[in-house]
Amino acid sequence: MATAKFKSHFHAPHGHKLFRTNSSNLANDKPIDEEQKQKEKNFIACFECNGPPLSPSQIAENPRSKEVGVASKQLRVGDFELIKTIGTGTFARVWLSRLAGSPKEGQKVFALKILRKVDIIRLKQVEHIKNERNTLSAVAGHPFITTMITSFSDRDCLYMLLDYCPGGEVFTYLRRARRFDEDTSRFYGAEIVLILEFLHDMKGIAYRDLKPENILLDSEGHLKLVDFGFAKEISNRHGTAVDWWAFGILIYEFLVGQPPFWNQNPMKIYELIIEGKVKYPQWMSSNARDLIGSLCTVNPSQRLGNISSGGVNGTALVKSHPFFETIDWDALYHRRIKSPIIPKVKHAADASNFDNYDPPSESQSGYSKDMAQKYDHEFKDF
Amino acid sequence: MAESTFPGGSGPFGGFNSGRSPSMANVHEDEESDTITSPTNTASAAAAPGSPFANSSNFSFNASSGHSQPPSAFRPPGPDDQGFPNNYNMTRRTSVSAESLTPTHHQDSNWKAPYHQKTEDQLSRLRASVSSNFLFSHLDDDSANLVLGALVEKPIPAKDIKVITQGDAGDYFYVVERGAFDIYVNPAGHVTPGPDGMGQKVNTIGPGGSFGELALMYNAPRAATVVSTEKESTLWSLDRVTFRRILMDSAFQRRRMYESFLEEVPLLSTLTLYERSKIADALDTQKFLPGATIIREGDPGEAFFILESGEAEVYKSDSGDTVVKRYKKGDYFGELALLDDKPRAASVVAAKHGGEVKVAYLGKQGFQRLLGPVEGIMRRNDYSGGGGEGSAPATT
Repeated sequence: MATAKFKSHFHAPHGHKLFRTNSSNLANDKPIDEEQKQKEKNFIACFECNGPPLSPSQIAENPRSKEVGVASKQLRVGDFELIKTIGTGTFARVWLSRLAGSPKEGQKVFALKILRKVDIIRLKQVEHIKNERNTLSAVAGHPFITTMITSFSDRDCLYMLLDYCPGGEVFTYLRRARRFDEDTSRFYGAEIVLILEFLHDMKGIAYRDLKPENILLDSEGHLKLVDFGFAKEISNRHGTAVDWWAFGILIYEFLVGQPPFWNQNPMKIYELIIEGKVKYPQWMSSNARDLIGSLCTVNPSQRLGNISSGGVNGTALVKSHPFFETIDWDALYHRRIKSPIIPKVKHAADASNFDNYDPPSESQSGYSKDMAQKYDHEFKDF
Repeated sequence: MAESTFPGGSGPFGGFNSGRSPSMANVHEDEESDTITSPTNTASAAAAPGSPFANSSNFSFNASSGHSQPPSAFRPPGPDDQGFPNNYNMTRRTSVSAESLTPTHHQDSNWKAPYHQKTEDQLSRLRASVSSNFLFSHLDDDSANLVLGALVEKPIPAKDIKVITQGDAGDYFYVVERGAFDIYVNPAGHVTPGPDGMGQKVNTIGPGGSFGELALMYNAPRAATVVSTEKESTLWSLDRVTFRRILMDSAFQRRRMYESFLEEVPLLSTLTLYERSKIADALDTQKFLPGATIIREGDPGEAFFILESGEAEVYKSDSGDTVVKRYKKGDYFGELALLDDKPRAASVVAAKHGGEVKVAYLGKQGFQRLLGPVEGIMRRNDYSGGGGEGSAPATT
C-alpha cells in the first residue's frame, strides 16, 4: 500500500501523535493514482517561483490555466519531511519541509502550512480558511505574494504547500533595527502598493491583515505577502479602504518603529483610532507625514487609496504621491530594483532567519466521524 | 514627538466633517468587516489582552536574541531607543477575528433583533451604564434602542459564582444592575490550579458598571475572572453575534434606504449602481430640532440633502411667512450646489410643529472626491438641469 511506503519516509521530529497517525485518507477518498502522484511530485520538485514574473493581467486572467495553486488529491503529508517549525498561528503551524525520500543535498525546500480541521471549526474560521485557499490559488504567480504550489488534505488536517522565503519576517528586521530609514520604508511600501493594486484592482480582493508579521523576505530581499486567512473577495471594491488604512499604519511603523495608536488595553486603542490623531516625530519628512495622514483618515470616503481626483483612480493616486516620486514602478514590479535588505542565507534550507518555536502540543480533541460528516464538504476544495 | 504640522494649513484630518462623528458605526457599516487585527499579543502571558486591569510592563524588545545583528544599512541614524512607550509590546501580534456574518439580504430580511422587555426605569439605568462606553456612545438612537432591547436579564442567585473565567473564550458583555462583582487577574493569562488560581483581586464592579466589552468585537480570551460577591445580583448580558448583527443590519438597511433615495434624484440618474452605493456610504447625517434652519436663502450652496425623517418647510424672502413647499421623507434638496456656487434660492427649515428632522447630506467636495465633477456625470445623458432642483421644481 502506497501510504505505508511513504509513511516510512515521514519524519516527525517531535513525535507528534497527530502527524504520525494521520496518513489515512479522506473518508470519501479514491485510491491514490501513483502515476499522477509522481507527476505532481516532479512538478513540485521543479517548481521555480523566482523567475521573471508574469504581468498582473496574465496572473489575473485565468487561474485554472496556471499549473500552480491546483488542489492535489494524490499528495499526502507523508510525502514530505517536516524539518522545522517556522511559524505558528492560532490553528496553523508552518513547517520548513522537503519532499521525502530523495537525497537532502540540493533538495528544494518549501513551507508547508498545516491546519487542523477541529481547531478551524472550534474557532468558527471555516469561511476564512476556504477564502485563504481560494485566494492563494487565484493570486499564485504574483512576484510579491507567496505562491501556493498546491494544497491537499487528509482526515484531520488541511495542507497548503507554499514557496519558502528564507529571509524571514520583515517584522524581525524591523524590531531589530527599531525603525527603517525612509528609503527602506519607501522601497517596501512601494512593493506593498503593487500588491494592493493587484489584489484590489485586478482580483477584487481585500487583504485585511496587513502588518510586518505577515510580510516575508525572499532570498533576494523582495517582499512576499503571506497569510491570506482574512483575505476576502469583495463586491464593487467596497471594503478595500481597510487595506489603505492599514498601509498608512504600516508605513508609520516602518519609519517610527511602533504603530501610531497603541495602548495595553485594546478598547483604548480603538478609542485612539476613532480620535484619529497621528503624532509624528519631528524628524519625519513632510512627504511621509502627508502620505500617512492621507491614508490614516478615519472617514473612508476621504481616505487616500479610496478616493479619486481628476479621473485618477485610488491606487494611481497613491503611486503618484510625492513620497513615492523616486520609484520606477515598472522596474520595481519586475524585481529589477535592488532590495535594501539582503537576507543572510547560508543554504536553501537555512531557517536561521526564523525564530524557534515550541514543538506542537499533543492534540486534545480529535476530528470525530460526526464532525467529518458535518463539515468535510466545506473542505472539498483542498 | 510633535503634533502634525501638515503642509497646506489643515491637518491630515482637517477636512474631516464633524457633522457626524467618526463613529464606531463606520467600523460596522462595512458588512465585510469581520476581522479586527489585534494590536496585542495573546501569546505573551503577561500582557493579558483586553484587560483594562493589566498593568504589567513588558518591554520585551529582544524577541529574537541570539541572532546576529542585521546589516545596518537600512537602519536610520540617530538614537535608537527614543519614543517607545515603556510598556510597548514588541512581540508578534496575533490576528483575531469574529465569526463571518453576512448582511441581511432582501430574501431573508426576516431577521429581527431579539427584544427583552424592560421597565422604563431599567432602560434609563442601562442607558446611563453604557453611555460612557465608546462602543455604545457612537450608536445612533435607533441602533442604541435595539441594542438595549436585546440585553438579556441574567440573575446571579448566589455569592462566589464565576461569571467569566480568565482565559476562556469570550462571547458576552455584561452590565451590572444589582450586586457587586470582584475582578481577579492571574498573570499567567488563565486560571491556574490551586487556592489562588484566580490570581490577584484588582477591582470591584458595582451597579452601573460593566465588563467584558471586548467580547463584542471579537473572540479574545477573557482577560480576568469575575466573581459575584453578594447573595443575589442581577446582570444584563449581550452576545457578540446579536450586537454585530444589529449594527450591521441597521447600517445595511440605512445604506439601502439611501440608495433608493438617490435613485430618485434626476441629477444623479446616470450614476452606476456602484457609484450610487459609494455616495450612499459617504452620506453624513445631521439632526435638526423643530424650527431650526437647514439651509438659508442667500448662503453659498455647498452640500445637497436628503430628508431621512421628519418634515421640512421651504420659505422664500419674497413670500414672507408663507410655506412655499413641504419636504417629507425621501425628498431631496440643494443638489444644484453640486453643480455651481450660486447662492441658495430659498430657506429650508425643520417643520415647527413636527418632530426632530434628520437629513443625510454630502458636500460638493466629498462628491467630487468620490466621483469627479458632477458636470462629467451629467454629460453622460445630457441632463439639462430642467430648470430646477429639489423633489419638485425650483425652490432651493
